[in-house]
Amino acid sequence: MPIVSNNEHATYDVIVIGGGVTGAGVARDCALRGLNVLLLERHDYNHGASGRNHGLMHSGGRYAVTDPDSARECIQENEVLRRIACHCIEPTDGLFVTLPDDDLDYQATFVEACRQVGISAEVIDPQQALQLEPTLNPDLRGAVRVPDASIDPFALTLANVLDARLHGAETLIEHKVTDLIVAGGRVLGVRALDHRTGLTHDYHASVTINAAGIWGAQIVRHAGIDIQMFPAKGTMLVYGQRMGQMVLNRCRRPSNADILVPDGAVSLMGTTSDRIDIAQVDDMRVTAAEVDLLMREGEQMVPRLAQTRLLRAFAGVRPLIASDDDPSGRSISRGIVCMDHASRDGMEGLITITGGKLITYRKMAELATDLACRKLGVDAACTTTTQPLPGSQERNVITGGFKPSGKSNSSKRHGDRRRAIPATDALDRMNICECENVSIGEVRYAIEQLQAHDLANLMRRTRLGMGACQGKSCACRTANLLAQLTGDAQQAQCDLARLLDERWRGAKPVAWGNALRDAQLTAAIYQGLCGLDKAIGRKEVQP
Amino acid sequence: MTTLHTLIIGAGLSGLTCGIALAKTGRRVTIVSAAPSTLQLNGGSMELLGCIDGQEVTSPIEAIARLPHDHPYQKIGTENIASLALEAQRLLDDAGATLTGDPQHNHWRITPLGVTKPAWLSLRGMATTASPDRLPWQHLTVLNLKGFVDFPIHIMAHNLAQLGCQVTVRDIEVDSLSQPRRSAAEMRAVNLARTIGVGSKLRHLAEAINQACAGDEVVLLPAIVGLEDDYPVNLLRRWVTVPLHFLATMPPSVPGTRMAALLRHYFKMLGGKFLTGESVGCVKLADHHITAAYTVKSPGIPITAQHYVLATGSLLSQGLVATRDAIIEPLMGLDVDAAAGRDNWSHYGLMGDQPFMHCGVLTDTALHPLKDGTTIDNLHAIGSILAGHNPLTMGDGHGVDLLTALSVAHQLV
Repeated sequence: MPIVSNNEHATYDVIVIGGGVTGAGVARDCALRGLNVLLLERHDYNHGASGRNHGLMHSGGRYAVTDPDSARECIQENEVLRRIACHCIEPTDGLFVTLPDDDLDYQATFVEACRQVGISAEVIDPQQALQLEPTLNPDLRGAVRVPDASIDPFALTLANVLDARLHGAETLIEHKVTDLIVAGGRVLGVRALDHRTGLTHDYHASVTINAAGIWGAQIVRHAGIDIQMFPAKGTMLVYGQRMGQMVLNRCRRPSNADILVPDGAVSLMGTTSDRIDIAQVDDMRVTAAEVDLLMREGEQMVPRLAQTRLLRAFAGVRPLIASDDDPSGRSISRGIVCMDHASRDGMEGLITITGGKLITYRKMAELATDLACRKLGVDAACTTTTQPLPGSQERNVITGGFKPSGKSNSSKRHGDRRRAIPATDALDRMNICECENVSIGEVRYAIEQLQAHDLANLMRRTRLGMGACQGKSCACRTANLLAQLTGDAQQAQCDLARLLDERWRGAKPVAWGNALRDAQLTAAIYQGLCGLDKAIGRKEVQP
Repeated sequence: MTTLHTLIIGAGLSGLTCGIALAKTGRRVTIVSAAPSTLQLNGGSMELLGCIDGQEVTSPIEAIARLPHDHPYQKIGTENIASLALEAQRLLDDAGATLTGDPQHNHWRITPLGVTKPAWLSLRGMATTASPDRLPWQHLTVLNLKGFVDFPIHIMAHNLAQLGCQVTVRDIEVDSLSQPRRSAAEMRAVNLARTIGVGSKLRHLAEAINQACAGDEVVLLPAIVGLEDDYPVNLLRRWVTVPLHFLATMPPSVPGTRMAALLRHYFKMLGGKFLTGESVGCVKLADHHITAAYTVKSPGIPITAQHYVLATGSLLSQGLVATRDAIIEPLMGLDVDAAAGRDNWSHYGLMGDQPFMHCGVLTDTALHPLKDGTTIDNLHAIGSILAGHNPLTMGDGHGVDLLTALSVAHQLV
């Protein structure tokens, strides 16, 4: 039985459940409109699908033929994000390529559908495409250029959280909503467990917005409401090299393994789409069959992937709403679903915002906040289509880009907020992650200003350990720094072990060649040389 | 080219040891040396047998009898272990690596995280203890150089304090590091040893330690001096006025690099030859007998020897290679003890007893590797390429390297 604290908490206008990009966007929009808002996240920002995706800013082209409404949402938001979140975006553009096995007639259908929804789609000569992207399959038969881009979902969510907080929002991580407080056909707030203290608190609000992604069905069940979610697992591979400069898509009906996205120094290949049991959502494992499929298809588009080192594989779950018997979920609309549970289920004070895409998060937030404002009787216009996020507020912000020179990338990650990173002391300027150029000052900034308190959330704030070495050298340095800054060395070394296991979880599905060799090296350092297993008192063997 | 007595493929701990033992008897030996050895990951100690069935071992010699029959120690004969161990210690000592310890009784080394692990031999000057849960000091000072991030001093201090000590953490500013500090790559232990471990800078380091730690009971310093030999180690300990010991750092390791350098030097002194930066690209086999080996860089020039020794290491050193479908021995396609299907090579939970750590080439009791079930009669395999052990869970890596190397050297003379 959890302990419920007695202290009265303030009452909020709005409680947002979920710290993915949608929840962060809702909290920001609410705060900008002057609402008193609290965001509760059960683990960390972007812990769910917002942090487990391609990092692709769709032009909408992918959905133009099969899901034009969703495509229109994508292109509109694509244009908005280029204005308000330029520090999170690398404007790469994208190609939709027709390979020998693909139907070239589809290209005309594709281009026409793009025009219908307002996506610029320029047919280019295959030879020209090869000049732009020399790694493409030389036998390609057609190519169309669209305004796709690469986007950093971690930077995007954090910028929304930061702006929400700058405008008075409270945001709490490691707070799991365990119940909704319901009385007289109305949701009055939530009960939440603080994972770090083990204490449970009640929080009251006039409106509760459920932005919990795939976990949203469990949230509304506390109010006796049923939503049929469709958990669609999408698996992606991370290759340890940037294969090209543009987003590469197959020009065919949306299918498995047809997108390759450049992301800084690496490339992401994906995805699969398979319905999974909701019980698996918190323990997703990538299968050998998924890896083989992604590799086979990826190599058709970019043959050189066959010789490129795989770093790891990961999977996310799309929060789709079930609509038919489609076993893969490919035909379910990626459109936004905003539910007013008052009109749908007779339950006042509760909104669910779900469906959509990473890049339509702002629109989703606008819709949910509009509805909340109507319920609260607040008349305030949405300003998020024009108001830049923190990090993108200076005119000359460097848009993201791969800097092979090894110059610090903190300006990409934090945009104009980089000025807040301590750099006067020589020690603060020292890099502790050589792959992604993360300085000691940046780690301090993440701890002091971005609510980072462990290694895993430091990685989400700074990209520490995400590069080629996958944390082999920097994990220990950062754990030591964390021990110094927090004074809790025991926690820091447990964190270190957890982080290595988490990295290994990603590498295991691709553990042959250098990935397996690297695993042996990591184990030789941390288990053999350091005795980390002994340090944290772990002797048992995990199956 | 005249025929060698032995061609050794691989210049890690086992290859060098085997080469030295043979060269000492006047045999003509060449070692093909492709890449830096895993001694880079060494913590200043050697392990013979540290753990069995998850329990730390106090007497390795006694515990070795309980190892499974396919363990490399069983192949070279458990009754020979004690004498081979003493011989290995003498060989290291002759090379200039002064290590203390006893195969009958483990002592405990202190890891970069400040926990104790069983050890057989430790380099003179390294901080060690006779007991796994007690240190020989009441108050100790752990001292770091400002900006050296490969020494997790705060975690280490926490774990050392668990052993009943009062731990003081200090750091000192060393002027010569203001430049290298701009990049973590420049601040690795071996780079520091090159920067501050010589001449007047070593003297300055001693003065800085004396100033910061006057009156302390004992000072523990990261092992950042003595890259080629132990002169700087001994000088520093003489110049510093308080008792000074060294602690292992994160890799690349200075003590490990020193041991590799000393062994290479000793081998050369004995008349051995290296083919440095080379690797063997293929060998010619006739009727399970090697007739010649060819390097990658000179594929047209056969190297012939009476005996060949494979000391190419495990997956880590690419003595074994994992393809998508199989773990193979890439040079000769020797029989490898590995499960079918890549899902079975590893478990979730990185620091468990991973199956891939046990993979290796299969041999007969004389350490002749098998190919298609038949031994290759003029080839031996030594060191971590051998199947049937796990240095990470058993703490037997160095012992297997050294003792299989000596055992094969005895067979060949």
